[in-house]
Amino acid sequence: MLGLLGPNGAGKTTTLRMLSTALKPDSGQIHINGQDVVAKPLIGRQSIGFLSGSTGLYGRLSAKENIEYFARLHGLRGRALKTRCDELFEVLDMGSFLNKRAEHLSTGMKQKANIARAVVHQPDVVVLDEPTTGLDIMTTQTVINFIRELKNKGTPVIFSTHHLDEVALLCDRVCVIDRGVSCFDDSVENFKVKGQSQELNQAFLNLLQGVGHV
Amino acid sequence: MFEVFKKELLELVRDKKTLFFVLALPMLVFPVIMALVVFMSSQATLDAQQKVHTYYIVNEHHGENYAERVFYHKSFKKYDGDQRFSSVEELKQAVRNGTIDVGIYLDSDPKKALIEGKQANWQMVFNDAQSINFIYERLRSLAHELSDNLREQTLTALGVEKEKQKAIVQPILVSKVDTADKRENMGEKLGALIPYLLIPLVLMGASYPAIDLGAGEKERGTLETLLLTPVTRTQLVLGKFLTVLLSSLACATVTVLSMALWVSVAISFVRLDTVTSVFSTVTGTDFLLIFALLVPIAAIFSSLVLAISIYARTFKEAQNYMAPLSMGVFLPIVVSLMPNMELTAKTAVIPVTNVALAIKEIVKGTVDYGLLSMIVIASIALAVVLLAFCVHWFSKEEVLFR
Repeated sequence: MLGLLGPNGAGKTTTLRMLSTALKPDSGQIHINGQDVVAKPLIGRQSIGFLSGSTGLYGRLSAKENIEYFARLHGLRGRALKTRCDELFEVLDMGSFLNKRAEHLSTGMKQKANIARAVVHQPDVVVLDEPTTGLDIMTTQTVINFIRELKNKGTPVIFSTHHLDEVALLCDRVCVIDRGVSCFDDSVENFKVKGQSQELNQAFLNLLQGVGHV
Repeated sequence: MFEVFKKELLELVRDKKTLFFVLALPMLVFPVIMALVVFMSSQATLDAQQKVHTYYIVNEHHGENYAERVFYHKSFKKYDGDQRFSSVEELKQAVRNGTIDVGIYLDSDPKKALIEGKQANWQMVFNDAQSINFIYERLRSLAHELSDNLREQTLTALGVEKEKQKAIVQPILVSKVDTADKRENMGEKLGALIPYLLIPLVLMGASYPAIDLGAGEKERGTLETLLLTPVTRTQLVLGKFLTVLLSSLACATVTVLSMALWVSVAISFVRLDTVTSVFSTVTGTDFLLIFALLVPIAAIFSSLVLAISIYARTFKEAQNYMAPLSMGVFLPIVVSLMPNMELTAKTAVIPVTNVALAIKEIVKGTVDYGLLSMIVIASIALAVVLLAFCVHWFSKEEVLFR
């Protein structure tokens, strides 16, 4: 589990968009399971699940219809689609609002539906772009639990965040980006060492000072 | 592609606002507005016909017979006030003041003038600014009757036989032999109006869903997730395009059907022989041809508004871009109404103008099927180019992530 850190405008979202094939990099390569996803973006999209704090749902579709739509776009059909969706509805406890239109759902319900949408095709890698930004405590906890669940299953997760407590809680590895360049990429323990502080916030600030940002 | 189309369609039919603009507006609101306009204008005409006008005649002794006819006409009432007028200027002032509605100035007795070889010059003074006015026609008609009688009496007294009188008064009779049949005549007028209503509606039917499917996706934050599905950009654009196209055609179809329904209802209540005869000559094939012409034009509009919508960052921004387009669509329609503008090989390739001209020809019953094919081919070619541009637009990062 990799935490992608950096100040605003550092290039975190751009990096994640490139990883998820929404943007094409000017140079370099991105491989997922040995496949060059820059050259074959459609294969890459089959392997990636993407979620951000600002991801929306189709308001005039129900939560169920939203998830099933994305499942079909990922090629799921018939029994396979039903089984997978039912599994997610149960795991995420979505039974009470499945058939409600997304425009009438609470933020927490929407984020649960969004999580289901992001992983309905059982991706090999999950990319999360500031998934808890702007969410209340309850909804944030839902997202944290979801990431923890992925970690337990061994699914690789890359997520960007400004909340270093989430990094402490979830990440094995940290990558720091500043002005489009990676300035640190190592374990959380080494992050503290390099940042000369056991406090992640302070270590982050020290690290950026070291590269002349602050 | 069909998954995208199915989903977009489902969302579209659940959108009350779009349904209102695409279905309710043409089905109910337009006919109600048209019925109101027809009712109000016919009411105004009826009022004008039934209105009784106050008149005053200067030098009544020059035309006692005429004065008597005006007196007994149901639409005129003699001025019974105390004021007296003696000149055209005074009559003008009285009309301006509202003292009288019409002043009649008889300069001489036509019988005496005729003996002297002169014409009597009778002047009708009234306010002609009103669009519906029957005053002049009625007074002139009464004067013409007298004039004709006087001429006949004089010529008879001179020994001219009645049969020869017409030839003497009018040695050359010019008459018009129109090769255009009734349908062609009415079609020229009616056929020019139909594109005015239909073409903007086709655009309107495309605009509302297009805004939702492009800029709306960006604003709601659903576009990025859609772009990350293993569906090609071409498939995504085609799915959205088909939805917009269907909505556009639905709007046009509902309008045509609703118009046909309301016209048939109106005709059953009011006998309008000319309109009935024109509509009875327009066949089902003609309606199908008009619809066939609307398909490529709807495709052009759908690609165009979808491209605009994809470029816009928000719903509001897209609406701002659509506004000048909605106004601009009238320009090529106006061009089709210009004098000497006909459907030719050249005009058949001018977008929108070509369809407007063709609809006119179809209603007139003088359509050239070769030119019609040219229009369809030219329009489809343009729609394909615009659609290709739309796909290109949808692949550009600078457009998608503005």
